[in-house]
Amino acid sequence: MPEQEHNISDTKQLWDAALADIERAVSRANFTTWFKNTSIVKEADGVVYLGVPNGFVKEWLQNKYHKFILKSLRMISENIRGIDYIVISKTEQQKPGFAESAPQLYGELPLKDLYINKDDNLNPRYTFDTFVVGPFNELAYTATQAIMKSVGSVYNPLFVYGGTGLGKTHLLQATGNKIKEMYGDKKVFYITSEKFYLDLITSVQANKINVFKEKYRKYDVFIMDDIQFLSGKQGTQDELFHLFNTLYDNNKQIIFSSDKHYNFIGNLEERLKSRFGAGMIVDISDPDFESRVAILKTKSRHINFSPSDEIIEYIASNIKGSIRELEGLLNALVCQAQLKNRDLALLEVKTLLKNNEKPRKTLSVEDIVHVVSEFYNIEKSTIYEKTRKKEIVKPRQIIMYILREDLSISFPTIGQRLGGRDHTTVIHSCDKIKNDLKKDTVLVDELERIRSLFAQQQ
Amino acid sequence: MKISVSKNKLQYAVSRAERMTGKNLSLPILSTILLLASDDVLKVRSTNLDIGIEFEVPVKMKKEGIIAVPGNLLNNLLSYINEDDIVLEEEKGNLSVKTRKNNSLIKGFPYEDFPTLPVVSAEKTSPFPVQTLLNGLKSVWYSASTSDIKPEISSVFISLNPEYSTFVATDSFRLSEKKIQSQGNKEDLSILVPLRNVAEIIRVFEDKNGDVMIRSDKNQISFHYDGVYLTSRLIDGVFPDYKQIIPKTSTTDAVVLKQDLVNALKVSHLFADKFNQVVLTIDPSAKQFTIASKNADIGEHSVSLDAALSGEPVTLRFNQRYLADCLQSVASDSVSLQCNGEARPVVVRNVGDRSFTALVMPLNT
Repeated sequence: MPEQEHNISDTKQLWDAALADIERAVSRANFTTWFKNTSIVKEADGVVYLGVPNGFVKEWLQNKYHKFILKSLRMISENIRGIDYIVISKTEQQKPGFAESAPQLYGELPLKDLYINKDDNLNPRYTFDTFVVGPFNELAYTATQAIMKSVGSVYNPLFVYGGTGLGKTHLLQATGNKIKEMYGDKKVFYITSEKFYLDLITSVQANKINVFKEKYRKYDVFIMDDIQFLSGKQGTQDELFHLFNTLYDNNKQIIFSSDKHYNFIGNLEERLKSRFGAGMIVDISDPDFESRVAILKTKSRHINFSPSDEIIEYIASNIKGSIRELEGLLNALVCQAQLKNRDLALLEVKTLLKNNEKPRKTLSVEDIVHVVSEFYNIEKSTIYEKTRKKEIVKPRQIIMYILREDLSISFPTIGQRLGGRDHTTVIHSCDKIKNDLKKDTVLVDELERIRSLFAQQQ
Repeated sequence: MKISVSKNKLQYAVSRAERMTGKNLSLPILSTILLLASDDVLKVRSTNLDIGIEFEVPVKMKKEGIIAVPGNLLNNLLSYINEDDIVLEEEKGNLSVKTRKNNSLIKGFPYEDFPTLPVVSAEKTSPFPVQTLLNGLKSVWYSASTSDIKPEISSVFISLNPEYSTFVATDSFRLSEKKIQSQGNKEDLSILVPLRNVAEIIRVFEDKNGDVMIRSDKNQISFHYDGVYLTSRLIDGVFPDYKQIIPKTSTTDAVVLKQDLVNALKVSHLFADKFNQVVLTIDPSAKQFTIASKNADIGEHSVSLDAALSGEPVTLRFNQRYLADCLQSVASDSVSLQCNGEARPVVVRNVGDRSFTALVMPLNT
């Protein structure tokens, strides 16, 4: 039987009509005590899910008024067959516009309002209110909006990928929070692949693999962040595969994020890749200048900090890439401004920016030869020799490519340092690797891992 | 209904149930107590839709029956009766209360409107030592916020796991945490019990011993003890992550006799201003630990205490009550105060163990 979803205004009308009927039949006092703050959360398959403020009301409506409510509802809509009662916390509606007590006499304990809900791992801080939409993430944003309108039926699974610090987690968590808010009864669950993996290991150790399997299958919206960490974890991938199938077959919404396209995640099973490919794949790229300005403005408003437009534009034009970096810099500015107790001048911002720059890489040619030859398990000296064995040539070309791309060393120098080769040889090597990278995903993966080895060395 | 019952047993139940009747609610039936007699047991039930209770009182039964009568009237009446045997009888929807000398008739309410108490859906119940529960609640509950703006802190956070039972409360100016080693709790449980209901739970179970059966789901908790069933709404929220704000180090340490400090605070309270402000000065190099207070209209006072001190000198201003409150939960003879300079909370603990921790924020200067 198809799920019969009504939109919010439909159910509200239905309940209002039923309430009007009920109000006539019960006393005023009874009505305000038992029926105030009730609402229809949703209606599906002829069952009305009624939200009530607490367990006492639930108990009483169930015992005393159940038949009566059912009758009233059926008079309006004949295909209603049952009622289920759900307790809904009213903390949301209970936040009045209380002015904070004016002069704060007491220092407050620095309790942060940073709560992570244990049931679904979502951090309520991530909302769409603070999410800046620009050309760089528009597609991803639109996809999540579409998902919210019809959970589980469009863009399933959604696969979001993009570099670090571009707001993937924010988008995913905000989507989860919004779905929770809109539907109330939909069980949302957010987890990072790392946690999933650790959970699997603990479950296996404790011989509770069945509990593990069951646990994740009950969710309506399953969000997994940073799945690139599943690379090489065969067992976890298997579990995810089965979980995916179960959820997918039951029309549950699945959302993944990763820092790269799934084709470039090494050691990922083909069957998982093909599952990812079945849905919608969107990328989040680096934000453009205008978006960076917008982001900075939103963030500064959020932390009650108002730098001049000049400063914002300067930061936006000088820091490219990660949003997290922008945020970090903004925090540094706030800190400085508080310390000096005045607004910062552009010049000060400039010096601050310089200090915050990442230290330049100091890698020598020898370092790179060492790492690459170790990676491919060959003798270091062979790189410098004039051999054309295939297993030597490829690493040598990769070394040249890295020297050129990452360290911007001139072609003649590279040739000279690698055993006195001609600069044309070097140019050819770099071009070859560049072209290979476009089609050879294994090579992409290898290069990625080599580069991460450099990062570790520093 | 016709029963005869011991006055003391009835009064015990009615006086406690009366506290949980609904005051100033639009539904009059909630201000009543439901009396339900069957099988030689009288059930005394009341609820204000936030907390609900049912006592079972053994009676001599002549006839079964149900009646709802105003709680405070019945309670007041019983407190004036000093004979031991009472006969309760239903007469045309009203309740007659008879003793050898007294003879009263209380107007009844239609009992059909009296709500049933919610049953917690969780199938698992677990026994928990009553005195541990009370000890935990009493050690921290004064720290909870009394305002309703943030329900998650106007409640006591209870977290049970196989190793510890932890009770925490805070109003964001001070915080108390009590950790009690578990004697084989099996459950893992994290709940927020509303402060108002904590007071009632303490009152109801204060004179009990042994184990109480606890059952809870997301919205409701119930306590089952021989002849008593208490159920309370829970706050559906997340308690602040308080562990990260407990300072791990300190710049000034002081150990003083608890009773000395309590007395010093009481005296300085006499001279405190309208903010209850007291000034604590610790100077380890001069071996000085003084508490001073001053009120422009009354006068001023200062007292120094013998103390073991170390670290940097510091001067802090406190709300006298916040310090005095947490001292009542310090179990050892001496109390340890650890400061981290101005504008950082002072940590109050037992000397020698960490079962109780209180944080108190100094006043802004």
